[in-house]
Amino acid sequence: MGNKSSLLLREEEIAQIQEDTGFTPAQIERLYSRFTSLDRSDCGTLSREDFLRIPELAINPLCDRIVHSFFTDSNDDRVNFRQFMQVLARFRTIKPGKDNKLNSREEKLRFAFKMYDLDDDETISKDELLNILHMMVGANISQDQLLSIAERTILEADQSGIGKITFEDFCRVLERSDIEKKMSIRFLN
Amino acid sequence: MALLELASSLLLAPFSVLIVVILLASFGKSFGIRRLYVRMLIRLFEYGRANIESAIRKDSVDRGNEIEHEIGEQEEKTIKLNLNSKDKILPKTNGLVNKSGQNGHISNGTSVITKESLILVPDKAIQTTTVTTTTTTSINHKEQSQVISENNNEEIKDDKPRDFKLDDCFEYIKSGMEAIIEDEVTSRFEAEELKNWNLLTRTNRGYEFISWKLTVIWFIGFLIRYLFLLPLRIVICFIGVLWLTICTAVVGWTLPEGDLKRQIVSITLIHCSEFLSNAISSVVNYHNPENRPVNGICVANHTSPIDALMLMCDNCYSLIGQRHGGFLGILQRALARASPHIWFERNEAKDRSAVAARLREHVSDPKNPPILIFPEGTCINNTSVMQFKKGSFEVGGVIYPVAIKYDARFGDAFWNSSRYSMMQYLYMMMTSWAIVCDVWYLPPMYCEEGESAIDFANRVKRTIAKQGGLVDLMWDGQLKRMKAKKEWKELQQEKFAERLKGD
Repeated sequence: MGNKSSLLLREEEIAQIQEDTGFTPAQIERLYSRFTSLDRSDCGTLSREDFLRIPELAINPLCDRIVHSFFTDSNDDRVNFRQFMQVLARFRTIKPGKDNKLNSREEKLRFAFKMYDLDDDETISKDELLNILHMMVGANISQDQLLSIAERTILEADQSGIGKITFEDFCRVLERSDIEKKMSIRFLN
Repeated sequence: MALLELASSLLLAPFSVLIVVILLASFGKSFGIRRLYVRMLIRLFEYGRANIESAIRKDSVDRGNEIEHEIGEQEEKTIKLNLNSKDKILPKTNGLVNKSGQNGHISNGTSVITKESLILVPDKAIQTTTVTTTTTTSINHKEQSQVISENNNEEIKDDKPRDFKLDDCFEYIKSGMEAIIEDEVTSRFEAEELKNWNLLTRTNRGYEFISWKLTVIWFIGFLIRYLFLLPLRIVICFIGVLWLTICTAVVGWTLPEGDLKRQIVSITLIHCSEFLSNAISSVVNYHNPENRPVNGICVANHTSPIDALMLMCDNCYSLIGQRHGGFLGILQRALARASPHIWFERNEAKDRSAVAARLREHVSDPKNPPILIFPEGTCINNTSVMQFKKGSFEVGGVIYPVAIKYDARFGDAFWNSSRYSMMQYLYMMMTSWAIVCDVWYLPPMYCEEGESAIDFANRVKRTIAKQGGLVDLMWDGQLKRMKAKKEWKELQQEKFAERLKGD
């Protein structure tokens, strides 16, 4: 009757994911059930369309970048559950005293940096910044104004004078920003 | 001679069975057979639940996990409370999940996260930054399912324009991630998750093997449902449709137009609907019958084609919809013989004004039965009410809101039309335990001065959602099939741009 993939996760897989990401088994099972419900074609992996079928995500100005972040390690344009969890793990709150492999402050900043860095060359150029700004505001701000915003942002951040923002610049600018709060999601136990 | 006797006795047997079946179906309701059956089922589910609980507890004691033990106790307390209410046949809880964020426990079907950031919505007026604790359903039908509290994050103020900062987009990233983990919309197009297993294979989530007793019960239930109930129901359905056709033809053609005809038609249709509802063993509780619609427009939330049947067992309605072929077509034609209904062709449907004109015409005659409309336009899974199309609210006149809430423990009435065809759906309905629902008649509402049709529609939607304990969503139900509109994303871009302006 039910066509839903009723594959339960094997114990070893749950243990492995728990080891990698720090999620509890209960959370892993809940997220797995979410993963399978997004997987309409029931093949065990997600495509970009599967993500963009979520309306609240589809109307997000940064939806393409967010979806892309899941596919960075994927060869065939599909995401399996391990990769899915690896990305979500970065948004766990930082637990003092515990080993935060994927969700440390630096990892969160690196994730955010990758949002801006479209060509993955470890720097944010003016064009890349313009691109993101354009995604965020659409046609509501003129190209010139956007250009001046981008130039000013780079000027303020760029300490080494190369005209681009490196990861160190990025971290420095956001030193006082509450990254723990802004890039963490409260997972219930 | 002997042969003749043999033949006649052979024929007599199924014939008498048929008579018995018809009699039972007609009077079953008045004998309260169905309600007794439902009561027995509740006890059965209780037993099953306790069984599962003890099995989990045994496991968890082995694992040393304390959390689930607490959940078990809490659930026992809730169920005990409900079984003590003797005046209600069914407890108000429908076995669905409600664990609010307060106690932080998680059981099947609740939130995995607490949403803290920007919730993006497709409506300009409502888009704000809020902190929302979402629960998927509520035990108490009177509770609001969504709690919205003020955001006290100083950094995000919508009104002041300010410079762009590199971490401005973080909240959008977080919001996107939260939407991926959990969102309000996609879950509405799938069958609800049940907190406890109701001994049907289709709702079996991971309860692969709990105990021998449970498996035996499940197997017996399986046999009863498929070998006894299903054939019986199919026979009843067949006879019911035949009976409906005959009755409506007789009443429609022989009686002269007038008040008497209307009364007889009303009684006939109600009787035929009750007969047909036996085919799915439905038990419906009608609340507030003083608000029963007499004319005008009746709106209700939509979960399945069976909604119309549930409502027609208590009151005579006119229906409106597209002309279908096949099984539905037979019913449509039968009904049309006896009372005024509005069936339009597919291409006419595109011509909204033509349909609206016919609607207005029907409503303008106060003697016409109330017309039943489902403004969502599509079937939703009965956990929420989605956007009401404004068409029926522009007609004017009185609107009678009706809230329908099914108890999913006995059988999930939701028709997932992208997954199951009508025949598959009916098959699933007929092999469930029963269809149990609550129908609340709400006081009539009128469009107020200066209120637009959309606002009126939203007001009615809110009332229905509140009564039925459903989540009130502003998203369009058509998202079941279509993609999110570009305009909604542009709205978000506009809002962000407004924050930056003044540069």
